[in-house]
Amino acid sequence: MRNRFVTSLLVAALLAALVAPAAIAADLTDVGYVDQAELANIPVFLNANRQLFAYKAQLDAQFNATIKRAKSDADRQRISLQFQQQYTDKQRELVGPLFQRAQLAIAAVSATRNLAVVVDKRIVIFGGQDITKDVETLFLGSQAIQPPAASPPPSEIGYVDQSVLDSLPKVKTANDEMNQFATTQRTLFAPKMALAKSDADKQQIYQQYNKSISDKQDQLLKPLVDQTKSATGDVAGKKKLLLVVDRADVIYGGTDITADVQNELTK
Amino acid sequence: MALAIVSTAGSVLGGCGRVDVHSPSVRGLGYVRVDAVLKHHPLYSQLSQLDDAIAAINLAAAAPHVPRSAAAISRETAQLNRQLRDAQNRANKILAQKQQNYAKREGQAVAAAMAAAGVGAGGSQVASAMSATSAQQARQAASAANQDFMAYQQSVVAQDSAASSAIARQLQQQAAQKFRAKAEQLQQNETDLSLRITQEDAAQRLAVKTRLSNLALDEATRKQLDEQLAAINAKDSAAMEAQRRADAATLQAYRAQLSAQTNGDVRAQVGAIQGATRSKIEERRNEVGTQLRNLGPPALPTNIPAGVREKIAKIHAQFTSQFQVDAQKTIGDYNAVKADLDRQFAGLHGADVGATGAAAQELDALQKRRDALNKQIVDQITREATRIAKDRGFSIVFVNVAAAQGGYDLTNDLIKDVESLHE
Repeated sequence: MRNRFVTSLLVAALLAALVAPAAIAADLTDVGYVDQAELANIPVFLNANRQLFAYKAQLDAQFNATIKRAKSDADRQRISLQFQQQYTDKQRELVGPLFQRAQLAIAAVSATRNLAVVVDKRIVIFGGQDITKDVETLFLGSQAIQPPAASPPPSEIGYVDQSVLDSLPKVKTANDEMNQFATTQRTLFAPKMALAKSDADKQQIYQQYNKSISDKQDQLLKPLVDQTKSATGDVAGKKKLLLVVDRADVIYGGTDITADVQNELTK
Repeated sequence: MALAIVSTAGSVLGGCGRVDVHSPSVRGLGYVRVDAVLKHHPLYSQLSQLDDAIAAINLAAAAPHVPRSAAAISRETAQLNRQLRDAQNRANKILAQKQQNYAKREGQAVAAAMAAAGVGAGGSQVASAMSATSAQQARQAASAANQDFMAYQQSVVAQDSAASSAIARQLQQQAAQKFRAKAEQLQQNETDLSLRITQEDAAQRLAVKTRLSNLALDEATRKQLDEQLAAINAKDSAAMEAQRRADAATLQAYRAQLSAQTNGDVRAQVGAIQGATRSKIEERRNEVGTQLRNLGPPALPTNIPAGVREKIAKIHAQFTSQFQVDAQKTIGDYNAVKADLDRQFAGLHGADVGATGAAAQELDALQKRRDALNKQIVDQITREATRIAKDRGFSIVFVNVAAAQGGYDLTNDLIKDVESLHE
């Protein structure tokens, strides 16, 4: 009798131990992904990109001819901006409407599947919900696509816009200094490399060059990278996020923590 | 019975691995730092070697080119033009074959369309012959335009070389003149100094010499006067020697300054000439390209009914479009060769163009090998990560993570796994 009681208690305890974690927190299932490379192969996208490519080739020829007539740096800058604007306008005209429709299709499919975030396929190597086919079908359909009534639910996957962080004054200064250093080193080492007689000489020169660059990176950039990682981790912790990825990999939803990380870094 | 249950439960827990994949902090989510795993892959050393080789070629290609003589530039330009002509001839030959083939098939399609419409075979022959003639004319026009372009390029390059040489010669002559003038000026200064010193010492020297000319001088006084005269001479010589040394140093510094200034001026002037040359050639190239693109489609004979004309036009458009797709690879190959030759040409004229010719080919081959090897390694890491994720019951695994406050980092497990695969 006593033995049976002990056994029952043990079974109950073990079952509780097995079941409890699942009851406390379910696995993350609201993450979807899209194969953007596959979407880019849809004929309408291919056609638009082909037209854009042809336009760019034509624009490049015009640009090369125009920039040679520039008389000052200000002229060159003005011409560059003007051509950049022309290209952006054409891109908006050719690809913009297609891109908007694809975004609507992704939002609609995500809402149907209760997804809180949709990322690019290249950052998911296992699991997640592949919504590429559904998006493609909706995109290619003839009807207008209605945007979902509600915005995506809050996600435990966050993102930071690295390009915004790169434009912070201290990061930009460090990057500029690094680029300047790399250019100087190239100017110093390139003639030595070109004159090197044996492979061993070349290897030695290259190693010296590489070390100088790598040392400078450690000195200039590594502290900033570490600081950014730490700030991103701190913000993620405060916001109860599980993971943070780059903005470029997030297609829909997710929690944007760029401004918070920016604030941490400028403290 | 109790022991059996404990043992079963233990094995269930143990099967989840060292981490509870479904705990609140993990929630079935894993991530991998692929860069870190990559460094432990047995093929990573090969990948690094390829990266180093690519970077080394790029570094060597960034070296400023030693300025070439006008004759060397002309010789190398002629060589590049020869290579360009060969590439054009090759591409034209292939395109001509393709064009003939398409023209023949187009002729057959036109003949069939005309026969179906009840128009005589004569009309179809005219249309087909016209299509072939049009293609031939286009080829001839392209060939003539390219020949014309190369002749123009050659003449502009010759002018560029002559102008560059003339400017370099002129600037060097100016520098030599300046140097001669400075040397003469310093020489004159030395002569003046010598005269001045002599004049300054004249009274003292004369007094000593006068006393020395007295025969009745005792030996000790004569010796003392000789020493006085020697001291005056030594002082004068030392002053002159110091001046000569200072002048020699001034001249040497002036020569270095002139040389640097002249080289800078030559570089700036030659650079401006070369820039203008590149612009002229680029403009002409664009003009030629526009002319060739504007070659219109063939005109159809007027004695063919409107409906049939429309059908023939459609057939022509269809075959032209098919031909263009087919010809793309040939044109692409030619454009790749041409782009490389253009860059070599620009490099010859002082532009920074990176690796060209054999170095560019080697770079391309290395880059392809590097990409293939990298893909092979990353694919293997992904396969292993997927297997581990499945075995342990993860629901999703990410790569390229910026930060993680939850989830499970599979990186170290994968490193062990990848290393053990090749033990």
